[in-house]
Amino acid sequence: MIPKGNIVAATLVGLIVAGITGFILLVVAISWFSNAPFGLNDAPAQPIAFPHTAHAGTVEDGGLGMECEFCHRNVTKGDSATVPALQQCWYCHQKVSGGDEAAQAEIDKLVTAYSDGVPVNWERVHRLPDHVRFVHEAHIRHFTQGDTPETQLEVKEVCTVCHGEVAKMEEVQPKQFQSLKMGTCLDCHRKYDVPTDCTICHK
Amino acid sequence: MGAVACDVFEDELKVQSPVALPEDLVKGKENWYATLCRTGPSSEGVVVRVIEGRAKKIQGNPNYPTNLGAQGVWSDLGLQQLYHPDRLSNPLRLNGEKASGRFDSITWGRALDEVSKALESRDGAVAMISPPMRGHSAVIADEFIKAFGGKRIEFESLDLKTYRSAIKNIFGQDIQPHYDIGNAEYVLSFGADFLSTWVSPTQWQVGYGEFRDSEHSHRGIMTHVDSRFSVTASNADRWIPITPGQEGKLALSIAYVIIEEQLYPSGVDVNSLTSGQGLSSLAAYSPENIGNQLGAPEHVLGAHSVPELIRTVAREFASHRPAIAIGGGTAGASTNGLFNLEAIYLLNHLVGSVGKEGGVILNPESPVKNLKATSNAHTLSDLEELIRDIKSSKIKMLIMNNVNPVYGSPDWIGLEAVLNSDDIYLVSIDSFMNETNQYADMILPDRNFIEDWGNDVPEPAAGYQTIGIQQPIVNPLSDMDPRSSSDVLLSLAQDLGKDGNMPWKSLEDALKGMSDELFELNRGSVSGSTKQEFWSNLLRQGGWWDKSAVGQDRSNISGLISKVIDKDKEPRLSGDGDFYLVPFLHNSLLDGRNGDMPWAQGTPDPITSVAWQTWIEINDKVANERGIREGDVIEVKSGASSITGIAFVSPAQPPSVISVPLGQGRTKGSAYATDRLDGESANVLDIIENNKIEGTEGLAWAATTVSITNTGESLRIAKFEGDYESREVGFTEGEELIKTTSPGDHDH
Repeated sequence: MIPKGNIVAATLVGLIVAGITGFILLVVAISWFSNAPFGLNDAPAQPIAFPHTAHAGTVEDGGLGMECEFCHRNVTKGDSATVPALQQCWYCHQKVSGGDEAAQAEIDKLVTAYSDGVPVNWERVHRLPDHVRFVHEAHIRHFTQGDTPETQLEVKEVCTVCHGEVAKMEEVQPKQFQSLKMGTCLDCHRKYDVPTDCTICHK
Repeated sequence: MGAVACDVFEDELKVQSPVALPEDLVKGKENWYATLCRTGPSSEGVVVRVIEGRAKKIQGNPNYPTNLGAQGVWSDLGLQQLYHPDRLSNPLRLNGEKASGRFDSITWGRALDEVSKALESRDGAVAMISPPMRGHSAVIADEFIKAFGGKRIEFESLDLKTYRSAIKNIFGQDIQPHYDIGNAEYVLSFGADFLSTWVSPTQWQVGYGEFRDSEHSHRGIMTHVDSRFSVTASNADRWIPITPGQEGKLALSIAYVIIEEQLYPSGVDVNSLTSGQGLSSLAAYSPENIGNQLGAPEHVLGAHSVPELIRTVAREFASHRPAIAIGGGTAGASTNGLFNLEAIYLLNHLVGSVGKEGGVILNPESPVKNLKATSNAHTLSDLEELIRDIKSSKIKMLIMNNVNPVYGSPDWIGLEAVLNSDDIYLVSIDSFMNETNQYADMILPDRNFIEDWGNDVPEPAAGYQTIGIQQPIVNPLSDMDPRSSSDVLLSLAQDLGKDGNMPWKSLEDALKGMSDELFELNRGSVSGSTKQEFWSNLLRQGGWWDKSAVGQDRSNISGLISKVIDKDKEPRLSGDGDFYLVPFLHNSLLDGRNGDMPWAQGTPDPITSVAWQTWIEINDKVANERGIREGDVIEVKSGASSITGIAFVSPAQPPSVISVPLGQGRTKGSAYATDRLDGESANVLDIIENNKIEGTEGLAWAATTVSITNTGESLRIAKFEGDYESREVGFTEGEELIKTTSPGDHDH
């Protein structure tokens, strides 16, 4: 016969353990299917704090309104969007200085790296698994050269379909807009009646 | 393991912004550039695939006359050489005693300054050793060495001096001829493994493809005479194994039958060839007289005796015209090698094949002044003379230009000892460490052919004037700082005011001058309304050629047979062994020059399928008698030295012959070349005895006899052959495409 006090204690412990386990499972489930809470899935800080807002943001929002493919030069040509060479950044920043001291410090990092001939290794925000192929150019073509209004977008609008309003993001993080997992791809392929055969995406 | 399977490599979590804007680096776009490949026995026209500034693939240039889009096994080595982890990146200066292996990496400025001072202080006592060279690299090297009062020796382990001399004596010119195998009806070859390594194998392979193509009007017949079962022997309709050194007698016996049975065509002046003596001049060579001297087996493809076999071959050769007789390799490597080759090439005159389609096509001179259509022909004797000059202090500075003679010559020559001395200042221009440049005072890293300018008058050309051009297709990798050897020589001469006969700023400048000269000719394959346009088109096409500019037959056949017979002497042999030693060039390593390349090491030998090792080819019955099994480590001993290798037992090996490939036994250099178990890698050149070929003083490398001993050790031989089930093809449905014929039952 178990004493009554012990039953209460055992129940409490059981509830606490179940609660913690449930919480962990909940976090894992959310992280898997959506954006991880508490910044768990955030990328490490970038070597240079590059603000998309200042470059791609609208003039009304204090940005320059630059087109996405001005920097991501290969996005309409090939598989990878690519990040620009430091030389391209330097073309402007040999003249354009930062709006404040903090911004200038980041620009100085860029100019130093360029003048020293040292490449910058950015932290990758979106990493495509090895077994998947994804061609930016084909997706941009689909959304810019279609027959319906929603497939006759401008390039910068196409980018937002998957990546969200990057021009409004001070810092870009994984899954910030959507998970960009397989489900995201399938949803869109089904919506636009694009084949969903395995080999369409999988190598 | 779990971490390996689940984790992502840290680098993959990064995305890099390069420093410079790569305007031309569009992902996935490829460009093909024409150039010359320099890793094989002869240069080949190739095209190189470049993606994002990096060379990715080398293929044959379909337009280039000598290889017509085909490529040798060596072509892909260019990429391995380019990206090799052991490639020398910076100038190295000796810091310590010679052969200590201690070198300091220094800047080009300091390196050239030191070499310049060494040249200045040793002016008049400078020599250079290089491989056979043609084109403007050869012109610059020659002018450079002349400016410093020295001499240049072109070194090859198995030199072609005897072959060149035979060509000169029989066809009246120094330039090597083209053999029009593709249009021939019959090929009779002696010793030359021309489908694998001899002279210009890709060129001969292209011709052989046409020769055997039954969709053409003919399917040619080939008889090969050789003391080893080579790639060429395995492709022949009939292989006749004979004793090394007897090839010339066999050739003259065939000549005897042709004259006796009047099988020669009507235009052939037998009277002139034999100085009016007719058949009597060859009486000593009747098949019945020499049949028992050849060491040939009694029963070869239906013949009942050796004399009968000789007569059969002679009748086939003379009746299936146009026919070609080719000789080289072991046939020219006995002490009577010159006699053998002359007797063999003489047969072409007897069947009217010289200067005729399907026969021996004489190549013309180069269209560009100062550009020779032939390499210098030096021998081991020339190297011995140079060693004597070093010992007597006539030569105090030696430049090794992409050559490794310490490995590539027998030990008894004594080169290593003179290089390991402070009396000689040794500069090595090379891309890898090796047995020779371990003694260097200064090593200057050279550019790979994919990174460098160059040109070549291919030897042999395809019967008409041809100049190939080589262009720098990629820049060296960012951590590499090699320089073009020709540009280095030019800059040294310019610094010391010795460039009087070299009016070029660089090799590129010299090539542009050549392009202008070709433009002025106003003929050939390259078009262009201006010199600049012509230059661009020349580079795009990979060379210039003019099919109408052909060579002429300058042969003087008067008394030719008598002249050849005068040279007939029995081959001399050294050593007291039971077996003839027949060394042969490795299919991909060649004479060892490609030993640093893993692709060349790992490419299976076409006959044995062995890779990475030195194998000793032994007849199966001999092996049984001596209790030798495949994989046993065998000591092969001559009077000069001994080596060990792994037994490869084969019924195709003649019982009196031991064959060993060149190329292994490297002791200094990349781990791909040197990292081997005891007993599995050896340099066969070490056991070749000091015999010279009469008339040329070349090394008689097939004049050594050896004994073999089973060491009792055994190693796993690295081969495919025999590991997989094999079966005869051509009997089941769908295999009827495979057609087999024998000399008697083909269609015309």
